[in-house]
Amino acid sequence: MQTRQWMVTHEWMVKPMQQKEWIERRGMLVWIAEVFTSLGAGLYLVSLFMNNWWGMVASWVIIMFLKVPIHILYFGQPLRFFRTLPPFSDAWKRSWFARGILFTVLFSTFSFVHMVIRNPYFDFAPYLGAAEAPLYWVFVVLAGIFALGTGVYSGFIMNKCKTVPFWNTGILPIVFLLAGIADGFGMIIGIGLAGGQVDIAFAETCSRVTLIVNAFIIGIYLISVNFASDVASLSVRQLVVGRFATIFWVGVIGLGIIAPLGISVSSIYSGIEASSMMLITAIICHTIGAFALKYCLLKAGIHQPILLKVRIT
Amino acid sequence: MVVNLIKCTRCHACIVACRVEHFLPIGMTWPRLIAWEPEAGQGAEASLTTFPVRCNQCKEAPCVEVCPTGATIKRDDGIVYIDNVKCVGCRYCVVVCPYQNRTFLSKDKDTGYFPEYEKTRFEKAGKKIYPHTTGTTEKCNFCMERIDAGMSKGFKPGVDREASPACVNTCQARALTFGDLDDPNSEISRLIKEKNAFQLYPEYGTDPSIYYIDGKIGNAPSNLAPVETRTGIHIQHLSTIEDKASDILKKKAGR
Repeated sequence: MQTRQWMVTHEWMVKPMQQKEWIERRGMLVWIAEVFTSLGAGLYLVSLFMNNWWGMVASWVIIMFLKVPIHILYFGQPLRFFRTLPPFSDAWKRSWFARGILFTVLFSTFSFVHMVIRNPYFDFAPYLGAAEAPLYWVFVVLAGIFALGTGVYSGFIMNKCKTVPFWNTGILPIVFLLAGIADGFGMIIGIGLAGGQVDIAFAETCSRVTLIVNAFIIGIYLISVNFASDVASLSVRQLVVGRFATIFWVGVIGLGIIAPLGISVSSIYSGIEASSMMLITAIICHTIGAFALKYCLLKAGIHQPILLKVRIT
Repeated sequence: MVVNLIKCTRCHACIVACRVEHFLPIGMTWPRLIAWEPEAGQGAEASLTTFPVRCNQCKEAPCVEVCPTGATIKRDDGIVYIDNVKCVGCRYCVVVCPYQNRTFLSKDKDTGYFPEYEKTRFEKAGKKIYPHTTGTTEKCNFCMERIDAGMSKGFKPGVDREASPACVNTCQARALTFGDLDDPNSEISRLIKEKNAFQLYPEYGTDPSIYYIDGKIGNAPSNLAPVETRTGIHIQHLSTIEDKASDILKKKAGR
């Protein structure tokens, strides 16, 4: 099948074309913002699980000062971002994009209050009295729920795109969430190394488990999507053996999963805790893996062509 | 709207009419004509078939559902349009549209007809009459301003030119039929019923308002543009009605 360039204004209509809006040129900002979304939300959930205040602060900073500004910068009209929020719009009732922004705002608000109440430098208990504990739990639960929403909403945004069969699967939000949690465990080890009072051995064990689960989920995702449609299969082929194979195997699998898992497992068999240098290497590999995973998912998104029953060769 | 694939001569007149009607920037095209070679060929043997496409004004439009600001709105009459004052330019609608009929107006798509030179009078007029906002998304709106203006004067969409889209009015082969899909007695409803019209990708559940008749879209072996559309012989040439026209003109001149 060939196309005539002088007449074809949009090739995606006649052959499977890679989506570019969210990965090329200014779309690179979406990729970076998505990585920080996962890292921030994942780190917050992990910090809640491990009750680590510094982890919560770090996740809040990642969301507020990296994810949100980068996402807003991507907009064609950044100054209109307020229009995505109630009361200016009720789009959150139907749009995952609007829900995601709302989740982020609510997460930032509730987690901020929660962190202020339980900060290690100033005790609010004498001022709040008996209300301190209930207030703490209300804000912890709300912040946790909205952190979860912030972690999965990107997956739902992409999953709604029927025109990109590679994304149009219910497993994608789970991939996003688990990747975020796995990266969160990686980052909490980093916070522990920086003196953030973290049980590093426990974090390492959790990291091992989440990495294995993550690898399993990514495998299931790719296998299930491969059989979804011809175009989805093309996306998987591009990822596994095609144009993005290097980034996928080296970045996502090698650096993102095998390297940190190897470092973690080696400490079990050697009986010696991994050195700080090894742990820092694992964290760096984790983070590179997070960037590579989002890059691969966005880059391998291919639009279904408009012409019906196009055979892919 | 019904698109007759046999009647359509692929003349690009609808695309030009739309550009003029909406003062479209140089890099922006609302309706499109896509070309495709069903069989790989060499030189003159290569066959080419083309299809006119535009926003399908879906009844269950995914773009309306995903828009985070409510900038994409579906009117009661079914027209889906974009309120460019509300659009933040997130491009979610561009990605989610199954028909890929939305375009983000970036600065490089609005460089001016002759970059480096003064804007043309057409462009200057467009800035006043139909301004386009860079950083937002655009698409075909079935010339809703034209329809509204025409209907306010008592004209009927699809019947009177004053209340019909520019592309429909300009189509020399009358390949485009516009009207009310909800009216079972309208010309468009009759065509859909009689010609067994089809929509693009109905399996997406979007229920497009653009129907195609008298042709196929896809790579079926028989799916070549019919001979008459390649030669244009089915169009009544002006010379064949010259005598009739001159009579009418003489009568008008005599009054």
